[in-house]
Amino acid sequence: MPESVKPRGKGRPRSSETPNQSLMTILNLVRLGAATTRQELERTCELGRAVVADRLSTLTDLDLVDESKSGVATGGRAPKLVSFHPNAGCILVAALDQTSLSIGIADLSGRLITEHHEASELSLAPRSILDRLVKLIEWILPRHADAGPLWGIGLSVPAPVPVQSSEMFLSETPVFLPGWETTPVVETLIDRFKAPVWVRSSVETMTMGELTAGDGTDVDTMLFVKVGKRIGAGLTMNRTLFRGAQGAAGLIGQLPVTEGGKTGPLETMAGADMIQREGLAAVKDGRSSYLADILARMEELTPFDVAQAAQAGDGASMDILSRSGRMIGHSVAYLATMLNPELIVLGGSVAMTNDTLLAAVREVVYRESHPLVTRDLRIIRSQMGSSAGLVGAAMVVTEALFDPALLRGWILSGRPMAHPEFLAAREAAARRLAELSETPAPPPAPSI
Amino acid sequence: MGSVTPPTTPSQSISGLGPHGERASDPRRLVITASDAAAARDGGYRVAVVLHTLSGNWSEQHLAAIAGTLGDVSISLLEAVDCQFNPDRQIAALDRLIDLRPDAIISLPVENTAVAAAHRRVAEAGIKLLLLDNAPTGLLPGKDYVSLVSADNFGLGRTGAELLAPHLPQNASVGVLTYGVDFFATNQREIAFSKWMGGQRPDVTLKTAAFPAPHLAGGTAESFLSTTPDLDGLFVVWDEPAVQVLETMERLGVSMPVTTVDLGEKMVPRLADGTVLKGVAAQNPYSQGLAMAQVAILALLGRQTPAWIALPGLPITSSSILGGYQSVWRAPAPAEIVEMTAR
Repeated sequence: MPESVKPRGKGRPRSSETPNQSLMTILNLVRLGAATTRQELERTCELGRAVVADRLSTLTDLDLVDESKSGVATGGRAPKLVSFHPNAGCILVAALDQTSLSIGIADLSGRLITEHHEASELSLAPRSILDRLVKLIEWILPRHADAGPLWGIGLSVPAPVPVQSSEMFLSETPVFLPGWETTPVVETLIDRFKAPVWVRSSVETMTMGELTAGDGTDVDTMLFVKVGKRIGAGLTMNRTLFRGAQGAAGLIGQLPVTEGGKTGPLETMAGADMIQREGLAAVKDGRSSYLADILARMEELTPFDVAQAAQAGDGASMDILSRSGRMIGHSVAYLATMLNPELIVLGGSVAMTNDTLLAAVREVVYRESHPLVTRDLRIIRSQMGSSAGLVGAAMVVTEALFDPALLRGWILSGRPMAHPEFLAAREAAARRLAELSETPAPPPAPSI
Repeated sequence: MGSVTPPTTPSQSISGLGPHGERASDPRRLVITASDAAAARDGGYRVAVVLHTLSGNWSEQHLAAIAGTLGDVSISLLEAVDCQFNPDRQIAALDRLIDLRPDAIISLPVENTAVAAAHRRVAEAGIKLLLLDNAPTGLLPGKDYVSLVSADNFGLGRTGAELLAPHLPQNASVGVLTYGVDFFATNQREIAFSKWMGGQRPDVTLKTAAFPAPHLAGGTAESFLSTTPDLDGLFVVWDEPAVQVLETMERLGVSMPVTTVDLGEKMVPRLADGTVLKGVAAQNPYSQGLAMAQVAILALLGRQTPAWIALPGLPITSSSILGGYQSVWRAPAPAEIVEMTAR
């Protein structure tokens, strides 16, 4: 602990609290905006004036809070406003998805400072995707050096991520996708950028993003449904993400649905692959000259082309998207009836491109769910696009960094990278990288 | 006006993603029908334009297309503001325009952070906000703004690399002169240039310098060239600073192949000559302005519009400059350029 940031012993802690605990409580109250003046802190924490003053002095020395601004006077002297310093550090966020790779930097409140998205195929060699990710991080960090030191990395991946064991910090990449088992994503990021890493599924991060910065800012219970090549759902209750026992909550893409006498998993029957397949069939059958024109000009037809064609009024494409929406709607109606959310947000690459799918989902959910469930239910399309995953990844990191169980280990040093368990995780990650480098290298990856 | 169709552009896919990872929409899908035009004429709408600068071919072509297309349906263009790349000027202009209560504001945000709140105030005041080329971080389509129209800047950066690569020796060292401001368009160009070089010319080493403002690009180039004298080529992220870079190179007696983005007036004779400036990845500013105006008309009529409309760029070299000039400038090339290409 640096000499300058030692608690100075001012104020006498009550026997029921320790300096460390009151520091954490005050920091989190200020960070979440639950208290904005010393008086509010004294009242909320039931701590004496001297103790609050001492803890704020320590937090100011640590550059975590700021008391330079004054509020509005209500009779006497204007109170000093206590605010969290969101630029004390920054968070790097990244999202691997089926057809894109995204990266951004957020402040400690989870607000995105910058973001970049580029096309990328998950079917490429995992090592080449990791190399590209590292290159992008090396590009973005120096350009935003004024955002503060890197305090954590949030990574969003297109598959469920097992709930973490008792370890506080990851030192090894969790198994999330077949073929990625020997790709040291987490180890490389920790070793290269010296910051702790948290990994969540893209459905989970997008759910958190919609809750924090999208249309879910004023709701407690929200259901997010991601529609792309895969279909998955994320749920928040009391503004907290529900992950399930194994981190596998919301894998609705595997639920069977029946349409036109055929039964199959929802994501096979209604996802992006089906939309593309049916779009090509519409060209072949001569049902859509619109799609035929796109195919002739672009020499390929993507699910997004079909979705955009539906938005532009192409009849065949509207039929395809409506069919997809109805099938998704059946599954969502079950979820809605079970969970009674205030808001359902449709996101993902296909859903965000058009309104036909949204209309079909609405129609089925409102028709098939219990009337009490749909009385005040809103079903909307995401406005955040892929930014939702980045904002959500930042929220995962901030919630972890300031969780009292983890905060306890770094608050007095003022930086999470000094947490003793993270130092151990760094060493473990470096060891694992060394072990992997000794194993025979896989065949060279194609360049991306 | 019965219907407005953008000029046919070469079939070319858009390689970049939008500021929120959106897939690009093709501007050819924006159609103003006769009934749309009639409704727009009856609406008595008023629109203002706020650009980073009003000088230069890029802005002139945009403004000509926007003013003309809006004029065709009797929509008044209240004012075109020159922000001179200055965030404070842009904030003041937006706040002033909000008080004038136009129906829509078309704005090119000059950076990503400082001007975000002012742009958000436009939408909060019930004025439709349409963005050109850049979206401030945190602003969302459909919520804070209607649509973004831009070039495929990722594709432009890639084209800049493709045009430079044939002129580079093996194991070349290449300088990238980029904009030191967080800006969607130039970020995309820089990233795409580096990605293409890394993938297709892994022998090339990239060195980067950033100019803090376009008018300071000459000074940045001078110090960059003096600290990295071993450069074999240069990519500059757009033409206005590239003019200064080329003048600085001439003054210092430095010659190496250069590529950039946009075929501004001062680029034309240099590209026709082709000795130093080997290629330009050109935007089509008139078509972009046209698409912008069409989106504005549709938005004013309450129609759903795409989150991101992107237009492909055009690679131009000395051998294709006449057609390229005509496509970009919507005019015949000057006689001296025709003469230069005939030599």
